[in-house]
Amino acid sequence: MTAPGDPTDPTRAHASGPDHGHGRGPDHDGPDADRRGELVAAALAGDLSSAEADEFARLRAADPTVDEELALLGGVVARTAAVADWQDVTPSEDLRRRVHAVAEPQATPGDAGAGDAGKAGDAGDAGDAALAPVTPLRRRRRLLLTGVGAAACLAVGAGLGALAVAPRDAVVEGPPGTLGAVEHLDFTGVPAGVDLDADLVAHTWGTETVLVVDGLPVGDAFSVVVVDDRGQEFSSGAFLGSEVPVDCRLNAAVLREHVAAVEVRGADGEVASAEVPAVGA
Amino acid sequence: MTATTLARPDRATRAPAPAPAPAPAPEWSPMTPPAAFDVRAAFAAHGPALLGFAVNALRDRPLAEDCVQETFLRAWRARDTFDAGRGSERTWLFTIQRHVVLDVLRARQRAPRLDEHEDALVDVPADVADPLDRLGLVEGLARLGDEQRAAVVAVHLRGLSYREHSEATGVPVATLRTRVFYGLRALRDHLDEGGTTDDRTR
Repeated sequence: MTAPGDPTDPTRAHASGPDHGHGRGPDHDGPDADRRGELVAAALAGDLSSAEADEFARLRAADPTVDEELALLGGVVARTAAVADWQDVTPSEDLRRRVHAVAEPQATPGDAGAGDAGKAGDAGDAGDAALAPVTPLRRRRRLLLTGVGAAACLAVGAGLGALAVAPRDAVVEGPPGTLGAVEHLDFTGVPAGVDLDADLVAHTWGTETVLVVDGLPVGDAFSVVVVDDRGQEFSSGAFLGSEVPVDCRLNAAVLREHVAAVEVRGADGEVASAEVPAVGA
Repeated sequence: MTATTLARPDRATRAPAPAPAPAPAPEWSPMTPPAAFDVRAAFAAHGPALLGFAVNALRDRPLAEDCVQETFLRAWRARDTFDAGRGSERTWLFTIQRHVVLDVLRARQRAPRLDEHEDALVDVPADVADPLDRLGLVEGLARLGDEQRAAVVAVHLRGLSYREHSEATGVPVATLRTRVFYGLRALRDHLDEGGTTDDRTR
C-alpha cells in the first residue's frame, strides 16, 4: 500500500501529508528532492556515512531550508517518544459485521454486537440520536494494570501493602442522567475552523461539562453556561482561546435531570449550543 | 469575539424535551445523487487505519473495536451532514473517531478505583503528561500509509538502523529513508494543524 505523499507511489504528484495534498515547507520536487529527503532522514537518525555527511554539509550550505526542515522534523521525532511502540492490526470479521450492521435498520442486537454500542446501532437513524445511551461503548471487564493500581494507592498514601490491591474496572454506563457516566454533546452553531468536543457528566452535586476546543481566537474569553428546563442559567466557568487545544472541566450547580442545554458564549454573548436529552425520555 | 463568530441558535425555554421529529425521508428523483456515505465501502477503505488509531490510542483491542463501531454509528447518523466538497470522508471519519476515543479516555480518567484496603474511592493521576499530544501523534501515525508508518515506527520508535530494517524487509535503504522523510513531513503537517490535518470543516 502506498499513501499520498509517498514518493514510492507512482501516482504521487507532490510531496504531502498522509491523506491530503498540501504539504507545507519548502517545495522540492524531482530526483534532487528525493535525495534531499534521504539525507535529511538519515541525518535525523544519525545514519549518515562520512561521504554522505560531506554531501549533506554541502547541501545545507547551498540550501538554507534544509536546516529549517531538519529542525522541524527533529521536533516531530522527539515527540514520537510519547508513542513508544506501534501495534499493527487488522479488523476482525466480527467487527466488519458489526459495522455493516449500523446501516441496517432491522439489525438485531446480535448483528451489531453484544454491547451497548450494538444496541445504539439498532436505531440506525439520525432521529434516534437523542435517545442513544450515554457512553455506548461496551467495556469488557478486566483487571487494571498493577502499575495503575499502585499509582492509585500512592495517591492516598496507602503504603507498601497497597500493591496487593486488585482495583476494579469502574467505567460507568447508562442512560442520560446516570451518575458518573460520560454523555456526549452535539453542538450546533460551531463555526468553521473550530473543533468543539464536549461531554456531560451527572454528579450528585451538579453537572460537569468536559470540553476540548480548538480554533477559537487566541486570548478571547468564553464562558460555559448550563441552562435548565425552565430557562434558568447556571454559570459553569470560563476559559480563554488558545493556540493549543483547550481541555477543561467545568461544573455547574444544577442537577443533570434539570439540564436542558449547554452553551458556549463569547464576549458578545453569541453562543454555540447543545441541546441535552431529558432524563428518562 | 471578532475573527470567529459563533451563531446564536434559536433557543426557546424548554419544557420537557419533545421527542425529536423524525427526519423526512428524501424523495427519490432522477436528480437524486448517489448515497454520500456507504458504510461498507468506507469501512473497507478506512476501517484498518481507524482500528489502528483506536488500538494504539487505547491499548485495548476489544474496546478499540467498540470505538470503531461507534465511529461508524455516529457517521451513519450524521451522514446527511457529510459534504465531500468540504473535506474527505477519511478525514471526517478520523475526526469522529478522535471524539469517540476522547470520550473513552475521559471515562477512564474519571473512573474511580476502589482501594480495598481503605474501602474508599480514590482519584488516579493521569499516566501520561499530555494525553492530547500522544493522541495526536497516534492519529497522525494511523493516517500514514502502511509503508511510511512501518518505516517511521522501525527507525524512530523501535530504534532500528536503516540497514537493519532494510535487511529485515528487503527494501533498499534509500527507499526507507525517503518513506521516513515523507512520513515525518506528513506527521508534522498533522501536528501543526492541531491533529486535525485537513479538517477544514469538522
